[in-house]
Amino acid sequence: MPGTTSANVIQASGLTKSYRKGALETPVLQGVSLTIARAEFVAIRGTSGCGKSTLLNILGLLDQPDSGGYLLDGVDFSQADDDARSSARNQRIGFVFQQFHLLDRASAVQNVMLPLLYAEDEPADGAARAARALLAVGLSHRMHHLPGELSGGEQQRVAIARSLINDPALILADEPTGNLDERNGAEVMEIFKRLHLAGRTIVLVTHDRALAGQADRVLLMQDGRVAVAGAA
Amino acid sequence: MSRSSRIAHDVVASLIADRTRSFLMMSGVAVGVAVLSAVIVIGQGTREQILGLVKKHALDMLMVRAGGEVQVFAPRADRGLNVLFEADARAIQSSLPGVRLVSVVQNQRGINVVAGDRSVVTRAFGVEMDWLEIRHRGMAEGEFISESDMAGMSRVVMLGAGIARRLFPSGGAIGSTVRVGNDPYTVKGVLIEMGSGAGGDDWDDRIVVPFTTSSRRLFNRPSLEQIVIRVADARRMHQTADRVRELLRVRHNVSPGEPDDFFVREPEDVEGVALETSSTLRAMLIAVALVAIVAGGIVIMNLMLLAISQRAHEIGVRRAVGARCADITRQFLLESLFVSVAGGVLGVVTGVAAAAGLASAGMAAARITWMPFVIALLACAAIGLLFGIHPARQAALVDPAATLRQRKL
Repeated sequence: MPGTTSANVIQASGLTKSYRKGALETPVLQGVSLTIARAEFVAIRGTSGCGKSTLLNILGLLDQPDSGGYLLDGVDFSQADDDARSSARNQRIGFVFQQFHLLDRASAVQNVMLPLLYAEDEPADGAARAARALLAVGLSHRMHHLPGELSGGEQQRVAIARSLINDPALILADEPTGNLDERNGAEVMEIFKRLHLAGRTIVLVTHDRALAGQADRVLLMQDGRVAVAGAA
Repeated sequence: MSRSSRIAHDVVASLIADRTRSFLMMSGVAVGVAVLSAVIVIGQGTREQILGLVKKHALDMLMVRAGGEVQVFAPRADRGLNVLFEADARAIQSSLPGVRLVSVVQNQRGINVVAGDRSVVTRAFGVEMDWLEIRHRGMAEGEFISESDMAGMSRVVMLGAGIARRLFPSGGAIGSTVRVGNDPYTVKGVLIEMGSGAGGDDWDDRIVVPFTTSSRRLFNRPSLEQIVIRVADARRMHQTADRVRELLRVRHNVSPGEPDDFFVREPEDVEGVALETSSTLRAMLIAVALVAIVAGGIVIMNLMLLAISQRAHEIGVRRAVGARCADITRQFLLESLFVSVAGGVLGVVTGVAAAAGLASAGMAAARITWMPFVIALLACAAIGLLFGIHPARQAALVDPAATLRQRKL
């Protein structure tokens, strides 16, 4: 895994974030501090609107905090520019979203290979890697299907394969089972557990107590703060 | 593959995947370019047609004749005027702008030419080397007057096609010796057949010798019948003619109010005007077409700006997996560039085909060259980049976190 120098994959301190709508300022994060160790499986649980998705976006370098410090893999990203943040999203982080967020006009394998487009150096074995990633999520027979031709569970598994293509240390999953039925949801959780056992750091955001319970540790978010931290 | 070429590759693939949108985007530019290409192709064809006419009828030639306007109409007699000299020709050549080539011309009727047992009486011309080009003549065989012929007052003669036929009915004129007047001359060339000119003047019933030979030997006089001038620009014919007139009046000491002792003949001006009109019309049509292309660029820009809100999700996804702002900018700029250039190619093909169709239906002259392709493609590339900048910047400004959040169900 690239840049695996720090024992802690995530080290955040005093993160704040507000959204402004006209004159109205809504604070979303009000000083979040947390540390996630390498190879940990952590769930961030909270009711909707508590700021857990915003936190995940900041941890995933998709969004920037108003204040606070953030080290990812020991690298300080609080002042990093777009190039550095994008490169880290590409190499160190894999995202899995509730809505899968696949490109409609690209086949499963093309979606899985999308991150390779933005890699600094194109791997010679890109297509083979994509095939392996799809095999790992049990979709090697659906490689050339468009997202519209796949079930919700299959689409989410494509998204997971995409998050793995650049072999990142950290997987960030935002309500990954939220749009799936129970069986498909359970399958997806099984994949995350397997990835965790294989040594990946997984941060799962969910409102679901049972789902959060499958992680090593649960962080409870309330009103923009991490209220409780402890083992599940 | 480098990151840039991977992105370019991806852009082409997505443009093909979304054909309908790509086609709509390129259609505006394509229409403009089609008009532009057709105008260029037809304009070029028309221009060549007119230039061909100019050449055929020597419309770029001014002729100065000895004697005033009233004495001109005497095609059957030599006038023997002593007013026009070689120095006049040299003055025209050296001091007037707009003059490309000048040749003095002496001519005299009733010259006896004998070859073996055949003989003709014809009109002899003494001219300079550039005469052939000024009069748009050519050699059927052999050569025309050379510099050494001029310097050495050589006894060489070029036969008109009719004379050659009469003296050498079975060919073999070149290199033969003929008697011109009282002296032997070597036949150096035969002029191409020209047929009869206006007024029944048979242009093939002539012989041509170097001016130095005619002035010192054959005619043995310095005075000229004509000076022929090829102007640089047929459209400025009239202006150049006026300058020649002014110059000769000064040189010949003609007082103000007195008539000229020479006559400057200008070709019919019709085609000159046609050339002028055609280039004005062409300039206007090109302007219209360029406006259409710019409008096509604006269409691309607007469609792309509209598309950005529809494609915010795609942008968000790309950003989430590691696309930099610069990558998104590049993607949209390349899309705009490719669409515009593809529209340009489509337009050129359509426009050229339309022009060729009109030409084959006899409705227009068309000359297909590389020019419309180069102009259109450069214009389209410029338009694509120019009108792509704004949408590309807007696309890069899309907040990935916000767009990915919005799609929550």
